[in-house]
Amino acid sequence: MSIFSRRTERAEMAISEHELSQMTRELDELHESTFPQVRKAIDDMAVSLGRVVRHPSTRRGFFVGAAGAVTLGAVAACSNGASPAPGSSGSAAPAAPEETYTGDLKVVALATALENLAVAAYGGALKKAGAGQLGTVPPAVATFVQTAMKQHADHAQAWNAVLSKAGKPTVDTPALTITADQVSMLNAATSVPDVAKLALNLENVAAQTYTFATANVSDAGGIMTAATIQPVETMHAAILNFILGQYPVPDSFIGITNSLKPDMLTAK
Amino acid sequence: MQNKIDEGRFRELLEESDDLQSDAMKVARTGLGDYVEAAREARVSAGRDGARWGTVAAAAGVAGAATLLASGTAWAAGDDVSALQTAAGLENLAVFTYKTALTLPFIGGSSANGVVKAFAMKTMDQHAEHAMAFNAAAQRLGGQAQAGTDPKYTPVVKAAVPTIKGPGDVVGLAITLEDVAAQTYVKDVSVVSTPELRQLFASVAGVESQHRAILLAVQALLKAEAANLIALPPDAAKLPAAAGSVGFPDSFYPTSMAAPVDEGAVK
Repeated sequence: MSIFSRRTERAEMAISEHELSQMTRELDELHESTFPQVRKAIDDMAVSLGRVVRHPSTRRGFFVGAAGAVTLGAVAACSNGASPAPGSSGSAAPAAPEETYTGDLKVVALATALENLAVAAYGGALKKAGAGQLGTVPPAVATFVQTAMKQHADHAQAWNAVLSKAGKPTVDTPALTITADQVSMLNAATSVPDVAKLALNLENVAAQTYTFATANVSDAGGIMTAATIQPVETMHAAILNFILGQYPVPDSFIGITNSLKPDMLTAK
Repeated sequence: MQNKIDEGRFRELLEESDDLQSDAMKVARTGLGDYVEAAREARVSAGRDGARWGTVAAAAGVAGAATLLASGTAWAAGDDVSALQTAAGLENLAVFTYKTALTLPFIGGSSANGVVKAFAMKTMDQHAEHAMAFNAAAQRLGGQAQAGTDPKYTPVVKAAVPTIKGPGDVVGLAITLEDVAAQTYVKDVSVVSTPELRQLFASVAGVESQHRAILLAVQALLKAEAANLIALPPDAAKLPAAAGSVGFPDSFYPTSMAAPVDEGAVK
């Protein structure tokens, strides 16, 4: 915890470091026991999407292929002015540049960028805390930030593995249209509640984006990966609500109205 | 147990939460209606030519149906209904468990922590809404509503109730039920046949996992003999460091404890 101020390090601990270390080890063991299942889903998805990407005989062929039917990607492609579908008119218009990420892979890239944004936000919060710009940081908040950041990094790594195996460049930045605003809000934060509210919003957006993805990704591995990540984001949100003194489970159903859409990805 | 809570503020939070929940419920109902419509259309279309499936996908605003046909996977309406009935059974058991817990003095009585009591009541209501949603979908697909409780875990709960001696026992039992439900729905997302149903299961899985997260945090505070910190807002400065992370132990939600899709199906 050297990144935090000495004042924070001396904060009262109601649990011993030994107990904390043991709990952390148990958490890591749990993580290691569940990760192989997800890795298999990701591997399957990468193989499936890689096969589609390597043999995109036509755009239509992509969408009706074994894993290619994606409303989300199709809508995004249209909204981004991607190449028109075969047979469509408009020969006078200049051809739009070909997109690197299409279909399910665009959703994967979007998810990766969103996870990168979460990592960047939590990382930025840690830096501000270390510089004493957030006031006293309670030990529980410090642990929350470090653990949540690690889990988001795990998510980003998982999604990037899919991109790599599908022959696409990894997404290593928060390449989203919302990033600049989020960075501005983080820069303006002067307290732990400021940062917690920012993080809560990001976690809710992530949870809704994954909920949306479960219905709009066609690849089985992609659906499963989104389904296994979404509850983790909602759990982060619940704890943040608790820390902020807000009711921790405000909704009976996770909505999708605040989900990111693929056209919010700025990596082309 | 010390009751450290601003009751007025907590009531306000619950009211705000109810407003949010009403909005979310409208969204869920819309999604449910879309799902049922798409599933019915798909059922009518089963056995027809592939072009029809494309129409179904377009009508539903989704593309999954075309993939199902292309991959040769049979449209499994039976699995959909079974999954919904199993989910309803798990929800009914959760309602039963919280209802029973609220009869205990240290959960719903005079010695209860106000936050824990309110959480139990609200969570019970949310599970009832989930059960209604799952049963409504099952019925509109031609299946029966599951009025009973999950057959595997009901005996576990009934055996545990007489042994409960304090809040920690209740919280431990609730954690197990929430976890089983969340794992089941995460797995069901990849089992069911339409995008709308995938979204429905995902939207509920996220809520059960939130229940679990808070219960894990409460459990940690009870074990640390810091029940006085179970409050809204909490005294964040005094929370043990572990309270910040104990609520979300996995980077990826597991499914090894998921109930089989037909575990709670109506026979």
